Amino acid sequence: MATPEVVFAGTDGGAVTDIAQYEATGGFAGLAKARAMTPDEVIEELNVSQLRGRGGAFFPTGRKWSFVPKPEQIAKPHYLVVNADESEPGTFKDREIMLRVPFRFLEGCLIAAYAIQSKHVFIYIRGEYEQEFEVLRDALTALHRAKLLGDVTIVLHRGAGAYICGEETALLESLEGRRGQPRTKPPFPAIAGLYAAPTAVNNVESITTATSVLEMGGAEYSTLGVANSTGTRVFSLSGNVVNGGNYELPHGFPLKDLIYEVGGGIPGGRKLKAVIPGGSSTVVMTPDEVEQATLDFDSLTSLGTAIGSAAVIAIDDRCCMVQLGIRVSQFYEHESCGKCTPCRVGTHWLTQILQKIEDGRAAQADLDLLLDVCDRILGKCLCPLGDSDAIAVASYVDKFRDEFQAHIDHAGCPLGGSSSLEAVLAPVAVHGHIAHKAVPA
Amino acid sequence: MTTELVRLSVDGREVEVPKGTGLVETAAAAGVEIPVFCYEPRLGPPVGACRMCLVEIEGLPKLQAGCTLTAQDGMVIKTAATSAKAADGQNATLEFILVNHPLDCPVCDKGGECPLQDLTFRYGPGVTRMTFPKVTFDKPIPVSPLIALDRERCILCYRCTRFSEAVAEDGQLVARNRGNQSMITTFGEDPYRAPFSGNVVELCPVGALTSTQYRFEARPWDIQQIPTVCGLCPVGCNTSVTTREGKAKRVLSRNHPEIDGGWLCDKGRYATPHLDAPDRIREPLRRLHRIGLEPISWDDALDEAERLLRGAQGRIVTALSGSETIEQAYALGRLLRGGLGAHSAVLPESTSSALDAFRLPLSGIATGEIIVVVGDDEVVDRVPIVDLWLRKARRNGTEVIVYGPTGAAGNLPPGGAAAALHALTEPGSPLGKRLRASDRAVLIWCGPGGGGGARVAEAAHSLGFDEKPGCGAFHLAATPNGRGVAIAWAAAADEDESDPEPIGLLVVVGDDAAASPSVRALAERAEAVIAVTMFQGLAGGWADLVLPATAALERDGTLLNVEGRLQRLRRAVVPPVPDELAWIAKLAGRFDVDVSPHASVLFEEISARCFDGATAADHAELPPRTPYEAPPPGQALPMAVPPRPAEDHFVGELRLVRYRPLFSGPQVERVRELQFQRPEREIELAAADAERRQVATGDTVVVRSNGTSVELRARINRRLAEGIARIADEHAADLHPTIEVAKP
Amino acid sequence: MNVRTSALYEEIQKIRKRYPDELSAVMPALQLAQVEHGGWLPPDAFREVADALDLTPAYCLSIASFYDMFRLAPVGETVVEVCTNISCGLAGAQRVVEAFERELLLHAGETSPDGRFTLRTVECLGGCGWATIVAVNNRHRLRVTAADVPALVAELREKGSDGNA
Repeated sequence: MATPEVVFAGTDGGAVTDIAQYEATGGFAGLAKARAMTPDEVIEELNVSQLRGRGGAFFPTGRKWSFVPKPEQIAKPHYLVVNADESEPGTFKDREIMLRVPFRFLEGCLIAAYAIQSKHVFIYIRGEYEQEFEVLRDALTALHRAKLLGDVTIVLHRGAGAYICGEETALLESLEGRRGQPRTKPPFPAIAGLYAAPTAVNNVESITTATSVLEMGGAEYSTLGVANSTGTRVFSLSGNVVNGGNYELPHGFPLKDLIYEVGGGIPGGRKLKAVIPGGSSTVVMTPDEVEQATLDFDSLTSLGTAIGSAAVIAIDDRCCMVQLGIRVSQFYEHESCGKCTPCRVGTHWLTQILQKIEDGRAAQADLDLLLDVCDRILGKCLCPLGDSDAIAVASYVDKFRDEFQAHIDHAGCPLGGSSSLEAVLAPVAVHGHIAHKAVPA
Repeated sequence: MTTELVRLSVDGREVEVPKGTGLVETAAAAGVEIPVFCYEPRLGPPVGACRMCLVEIEGLPKLQAGCTLTAQDGMVIKTAATSAKAADGQNATLEFILVNHPLDCPVCDKGGECPLQDLTFRYGPGVTRMTFPKVTFDKPIPVSPLIALDRERCILCYRCTRFSEAVAEDGQLVARNRGNQSMITTFGEDPYRAPFSGNVVELCPVGALTSTQYRFEARPWDIQQIPTVCGLCPVGCNTSVTTREGKAKRVLSRNHPEIDGGWLCDKGRYATPHLDAPDRIREPLRRLHRIGLEPISWDDALDEAERLLRGAQGRIVTALSGSETIEQAYALGRLLRGGLGAHSAVLPESTSSALDAFRLPLSGIATGEIIVVVGDDEVVDRVPIVDLWLRKARRNGTEVIVYGPTGAAGNLPPGGAAAALHALTEPGSPLGKRLRASDRAVLIWCGPGGGGGARVAEAAHSLGFDEKPGCGAFHLAATPNGRGVAIAWAAAADEDESDPEPIGLLVVVGDDAAASPSVRALAERAEAVIAVTMFQGLAGGWADLVLPATAALERDGTLLNVEGRLQRLRRAVVPPVPDELAWIAKLAGRFDVDVSPHASVLFEEISARCFDGATAADHAELPPRTPYEAPPPGQALPMAVPPRPAEDHFVGELRLVRYRPLFSGPQVERVRELQFQRPEREIELAAADAERRQVATGDTVVVRSNGTSVELRARINRRLAEGIARIADEHAADLHPTIEVAKP
Repeated sequence: MNVRTSALYEEIQKIRKRYPDELSAVMPALQLAQVEHGGWLPPDAFREVADALDLTPAYCLSIASFYDMFRLAPVGETVVEVCTNISCGLAGAQRVVEAFERELLLHAGETSPDGRFTLRTVECLGGCGWATIVAVNNRHRLRVTAADVPALVAELREKGSDGNA
């Protein structure tokens, strides 16, 4: 299927990690164009493109940059912080972008820095992404040698394993050398972000796309995709599909086509049971809903879910939805930063109740309690992490209530041990953060 | 400057507050409670962690953490009282908090004065829906010999760790792990060893952090709180002493925003057990040759005192400690000077009255622009709370310049403070220029010498601080009331002193005087000695008559603090011995001197002469400034010893700075739980000096000077200037100011 | 502890200069110290980092214990981490975990008594479309199935600690 490539343009399915090759295929044209404009003109170009953040919040990128005060308004250094801490379950697009188009990404960093008049760029990259770090490090050296950095410094800062650092204020805390716990907002990062100075925090894909926006012009970019969701998107497809992987497609692409055409359908001739459309925190979809959905903000929002990080997880009929709830809740419990009460306590409690249901020990009241605890977490936490757990779990009950009910009525899992997630061992069930086993010297 | 006012409504009540006021305070102004756990403005910006303060704000879909927001014009706030949604939110928070809380209120020290207990009654669920095993931990964990931690009770509000990180900046008490595995901890088995650790107990809104001294000692319904001030250093932090059945059980802060900001050091908070020290003197003692001291009756003691006083025929020297109240010093002065003509005295280090021209509340340090600290000692060792004000100043962006052995402005040799200060007043000094230009500059003298602040006053005057109310100058005195004692002693008579020789009688008052080597040297020359002291250990072997003393917590009286502020000391507990004023008055009667046994009467007399008739009601206020008076001419400025440049590869001499650590002295020595806070047997070396000697932290070194040698553990202090070493007084033996350090 | 000028101390001073505020150096410094100390952070590592950054060991511990990749107990020369999050789980990650448990004679979360292997399960490693993801000393192996495990373990046993793809 021929689809326009923007992020991965010019790679021919491979990677462009050689600066000469990148330059030969039109690389750095966007940067040159940007530097010939005023910073405000660059932001305007982004506004025209209607590019919206690819990290999950879908906030207009140009608008975000325009919120950063001008240097004459706040006489502090301005910072660009790139969120390369991709860790939402189901999401693996940013790592492929960094591996395959590192220069387009770094060029975007320089364009963004120019737009917000920053001389200091920090790229906060997931600690687990070792190969990606090396590729970026080498690309940065090449960029430095080619004297393309100007007076901008780019520092690669490696994370150390904490999902919460993908939340922008937690990321800033972590980058400042503190525990990665989210801050209260206001103040917003645009005003008081890194080191309490004006800061733009952008996702890798947004930044990389900005390069293309400058290159092709905002107007042309906006012709791709659909209204409210312009341009292409790198969709991460995983779960029970034949061909998992990242696929750059225009927004508005039918979800069922992603799964069945691009992804080759469900392996082993199994039946699709559910789809998580935008990363683990989004409301689950039934096969009926999947039929109607297109991959864009409006369509998924109207179906009561969200495009999130564009991570589509297909789930076939072997999966017990209570087990899915347990596994998702275990993840959030493990990754809760521990700062605010409802998330720290509630995520663990949800896991316990779900486990009780799965084990066939639950009464009807437990199902009500489960939903009530979800409700008591929702909207009361400091950051979206606790909400994510509550939204996901509540949606499993909402969409698959019969299956939850069956666990209670039949005192156990109706799949009788055959579920694909049966007994899957979550880290939180094995090790806390206190190591409990020491090696003899 | 006018502050913009905003109008808003809380639960339907209109209220007008300055823009930027926090919603918790705004609601309070409207008479509405927004309950909180983690919110504590003294710990820095709000963190919004506990979610107890959830309120509904019109126009916002989600409940908001009230503590993190500020008042905006037209805001409509609904708390749990009027919003079902907010009530449910707060109920939810409490349900979550109580999920793992053991609810062991009946056996918890906090019970009855516990915010969690109170708020649960008001906002919480009546029953639990949590049916799973609660998270359990080993408990209580000794965070230090002073503090016990019960992790099951902890609600992770992070008040304690925020205090450690952002107020005391000691970095000792931290949060460990993540999520529901999070816990409060120190590093491994290390105790929380820092000067202000006890504040975390007071900050804890539940019974997680408790004082080992107070554990299981009292219940909130059988205690009294006595408001007084701490008498252990010249700040006089405002305190509230908890007593039960006449015994002092604990000391809490009674926040005075200008003086202490609501914090106490561990010495002030935890030294009370010295009142019941096993060697406390409870009755008068008389020296029996060869046998030691024998108890005698008070009648006999007064007879004996009278006999010794008369026998000395006016050849009397009085040594005072500087911890006496103004009234005690005055009463003694009336007796000894007025009744016996004994004018000669050894007074503690005083503070120059010239500083009154530069009065500033201590809180003025935190809002300063430039602060210069000069002297050999660390601020925390002399006047601990000022260390917290300086840290707050730094956090506020104030430039704090320290000239001293460990100062960043550095390389100041011991005793070089006066010269460094003088250099600032030279016309060419760039820093001096900035100090002159600043409206909020502060000079602080922290060390011995300097004429008790006369030098710093002189510098402040020459920098033009007289005219600038935001500028100030302080002398951090070594004794709690040295200045008050000097004033009171001077007020007791008009004659000049003349030193008697030989000394017929030495009257030693207080534990510091009794412990002082120079006073001991005087005693050797005296025919007889009367000692007024609390502890046997300080009386034996040299005094002919020992009269039992009281502690600050047992006295009524007045202290003059480091700011020049008079503060009222209230008797928190009845002493086991008669009050000093009582027997001084009796004894004075035998010499036909009229001395009242009542502190209030005495103070009225002194106040009329020395404090413009200030009354007890004025005590909390800082008196206005008085014009600067230059010191009498002929007081030569002590010149600095030029620093000796260290030659490369030459392992030569080091200059020794001896210091009196915060955790030292007769009171601290008598408190078991404070022993771990006392200084280690160590010598602090600059990194370069250690390198040159191939010495690493932890190595044992031999320190020599003039035939004396001591073995100490080395510790590298990266802030210490090259060529200087520091040793706590109690470990420095007879070492001279120049030492050699080598590996054994 | 020896706080004489060490290579680690000097290296950390260089890292400090990268950041406008030196506190930012704490994570990279701990990462460096962990490598120096053989893959984990013993108490001395915290003391060394604290000394180099003018922090307290307690502060460094508070940071390290927040992040999963800092280890507070010794680990094996080869650390095998299996992702068991949703997508890998749906693809049979638990079978992969069990295969490793059989081959390495370890339960997930344990280190072998000879100090050669540590086996853990981890949260999403960001390779969901190529499940199951197994990280061997932080290098990711893609599309690992239970059937692949015996050969993989044999390879790791042969190669030793740097058994990377």
